[in-house]
Amino acid sequence: MTVHPMSDPILTALTQSITRKRPVALATVVAATGLWAAQVGRKAVVWLDQEPLGLGNAHEYGSLGLGDLDARALADAHDALAHKHHRLLRYEIEGEQVEVFVEVQRRPPTLIIVGAGHIAVPLAQLGGLCAFSVTVLDDRAQFATRERFPTADQVIAAPFRKTMREMPIDNDTYVVLVTRGHQHDIDCLLEVIDGPAAYIGMIGSKRRVRAVFELLEREQGMNPAKFDRVYSPIGLDIGAETPAEIAVCIMAEIIKVFRGNAGTARSISDERREKARRRSA
Amino acid sequence: MNTIYHDLERLLAEGETVAVATIVRVRGSVPREVGTKMIVRAGGKHIGTVGGGCGEGDVILAGLDVLQTGRPRTVAVDLTEDISMISQGVCGGIMDVFVERWQPEGEPTF
Repeated sequence: MTVHPMSDPILTALTQSITRKRPVALATVVAATGLWAAQVGRKAVVWLDQEPLGLGNAHEYGSLGLGDLDARALADAHDALAHKHHRLLRYEIEGEQVEVFVEVQRRPPTLIIVGAGHIAVPLAQLGGLCAFSVTVLDDRAQFATRERFPTADQVIAAPFRKTMREMPIDNDTYVVLVTRGHQHDIDCLLEVIDGPAAYIGMIGSKRRVRAVFELLEREQGMNPAKFDRVYSPIGLDIGAETPAEIAVCIMAEIIKVFRGNAGTARSISDERREKARRRSA
Repeated sequence: MNTIYHDLERLLAEGETVAVATIVRVRGSVPREVGTKMIVRAGGKHIGTVGGGCGEGDVILAGLDVLQTGRPRTVAVDLTEDISMISQGVCGGIMDVFVERWQPEGEPTF
């Protein structure tokens, strides 16, 4: 007779949430002194939204076995999840020390490359290497091909603007506008600029980008502060020249944003934002 | 999508007991970031990595120990040895790695 072991309900809750792309965190008691030492290894799962799995009408499942401290620790775990960062929580109860590690499961980030030209090819490769789910879009069927982007998760040959309007974009989506013509970049920019994307980068020289933003301000009455969120000229300032080097400088900027601006390297577009701030001050 | 938790779920469903190591705290320069996990299987095979050569052997040994005892514990992996030509590691920090046992549900704890 084969024994089919039941799966751990905490683990099941976690893997199902990850599969369904629900933001979720796992809290584990990793250290505790005195009477609490017996709770090391206890776990709970915390969701950002009300739990999606029919386990109860709550934001969490399981217990850390820490008595009155449980509610506070789970609230802190919820906060870590909201900030998308792992956190080691430390508490003192009745002179004893307790540590709870909160492991945040981020939704996998998506990189949308609009334009399937020279930069898109190495950028799609780099995005895949960095564990982004990569989508490439171009309106030219001879460029948006599987052969050209073998590692991309999705290659779409369709009109730019309409496709970008319908594209699912959340706050883990990174959009790179590198089409063959600025008009397409601008069309797509206008589709995503008010949305929740984590990152919007647009290619172009300093002069060109400034002219485009001024034109949009003048002719469409757009608030210039809206452009502050756009990384344009795109990329980190590393003196990149070839398409492959430019792809590296774009991916480096995306990593910087993805990692919460933890690094000290400068974006090429930082100068534009600083100038705008000085003007408005 | 497949994550290390899905690997863990699969191994448990196949009836295997494993140890799971998680980096919970780092100081200084270390090879992997907080939150990185590794599954240690009986015999020392592992899934995932907490940084390769730099101290990974210590974590695998701790995993094998926890597989035996079932008692979760935290190991401090010190990578701050003096820099020399014969030194194996290239890192200069310390990482705390929490190691715990996972076993199929319904199995006796000891």
